[in-house]
Amino acid sequence: MEFNSSTFILEIINFLILIWILQRLFYKPILAIIAKRKAFIDQSINDTKLLQQQAEEQRSLYESRQQLWEQEKQAALTALHQQIDIERRLKMEQLKADLILERTKLNVTTQHQQREFQQQAQLQALQNGAHFASLLLKQSAGPEVEARLVALLVNNLKTLPEACNLCLQMLGNKKTLNIKVTSVYPLAPEQHAQLEQQLTELINSPITLQYQQDAALIAGIRLDIGAWVLNANLQHELIGFTEIANELE
Amino acid sequence: MDNDFFFALGPIVIGNSVLTTWGIMLVISLIAWLTTRRTQQLPKTLQTMAEVIVTAIDEAICEVAPEHGRQIMPFIASLWLFLIIANLVGLIPGLHSPTRDLSVTSALAVLVFFSVHWFGIRTLGWKRYLHHYLTPSPILLPFHIISEFTRTLALAIRLFGNMMSLEMAAMLILLVAGFLAPIPILMLHIIEALVQAYIFGMLALIYLAGAMQSQQLTTQEK
Repeated sequence: MEFNSSTFILEIINFLILIWILQRLFYKPILAIIAKRKAFIDQSINDTKLLQQQAEEQRSLYESRQQLWEQEKQAALTALHQQIDIERRLKMEQLKADLILERTKLNVTTQHQQREFQQQAQLQALQNGAHFASLLLKQSAGPEVEARLVALLVNNLKTLPEACNLCLQMLGNKKTLNIKVTSVYPLAPEQHAQLEQQLTELINSPITLQYQQDAALIAGIRLDIGAWVLNANLQHELIGFTEIANELE
Repeated sequence: MDNDFFFALGPIVIGNSVLTTWGIMLVISLIAWLTTRRTQQLPKTLQTMAEVIVTAIDEAICEVAPEHGRQIMPFIASLWLFLIIANLVGLIPGLHSPTRDLSVTSALAVLVFFSVHWFGIRTLGWKRYLHHYLTPSPILLPFHIISEFTRTLALAIRLFGNMMSLEMAAMLILLVAGFLAPIPILMLHIIEALVQAYIFGMLALIYLAGAMQSQQLTTQEK
């Protein structure tokens, strides 16, 4: 193990050559590729940061825009609510007016219906009354009723209104007056006498009485004095009912 | 091949250690060329291993000499790679570690010695570099000078002694105890080879960093 100068010198040269070879073939390429990769990673990081920054800016922009939209939306909503309130108020007022009108119409209609119903009821009651009265009078009609009606007529002739008396007296200024006396049953002589006496007192001119029978009168008497007709019979009364009913209709 | 003398070219004697060194240089160069002939951004297995080795060495150097790591990295990294392989070559039957030769370790130590001054002067300049021999006191100048030589000698002798004794011990055990007993010794050989390579490289790195005052410069800058 002695020191060899040739080996010593050659080893120095060898090692220097080895350094040169490794520097050229190993360290430089490896460090270069590591630096390149590091640069690429740094570039990627920078790009990512830039993208992140852009994304942050976009997000802030979007948030501000969203806030603006939100404010616009709130303003629009407020305006819409106000418009809705105004419309609602107008509609409510319109509805109230319509309700009042409808209520008035309903009242009028109800009153009209009530009136019609009342008239209908009256008419029905009148018709029923006329019907019952007709039936009753037809069943109860007879010579006695007719006698009383004749007596009633004679009495009424005594208490005629002044205008009627004047008209009858005017009829008496002419020639002999033919008076038609219609009854259901033949009148008794005393009834004839009462009628002639009373009529004679009313009419100054001479009169002739012509007696006849008509069952349609049911009971009672009718006097045809020219254009004048004096009724004291049940048929006339029933006809009166009928006329009232017709007027109501 | 256990004889140091192999052949001679006139006055130059080519010994076993030189031949082994050439072989090691050839292997290292071949591996380096294969690794870096097609480097890619997305590395494959071999490139990944190479990057791991280079990155680890680079970080270790930059830890000690932050300012001048890249400057001294080729020298220190080459020392480590060469010494690891040179120390482990002895495990191959028929081959001997070049580092068991005092001429080889002396050559490396002398290279470290001159590198220290070369990088120191290059970094600090003549005046500043030589001034550090007078700090903290000019009285210490002789000790500085003695230290330069003794540490170089220690580098050479330490590596040489450890590797030679290791191989010799393995040889003796092999002769005495047959083929089974040397296996733990071989494991010890591997560890020792790595440790010695690390120590030699790290000491060289510390000497270089001290000469370039890298730590001081970094502290001052901070």
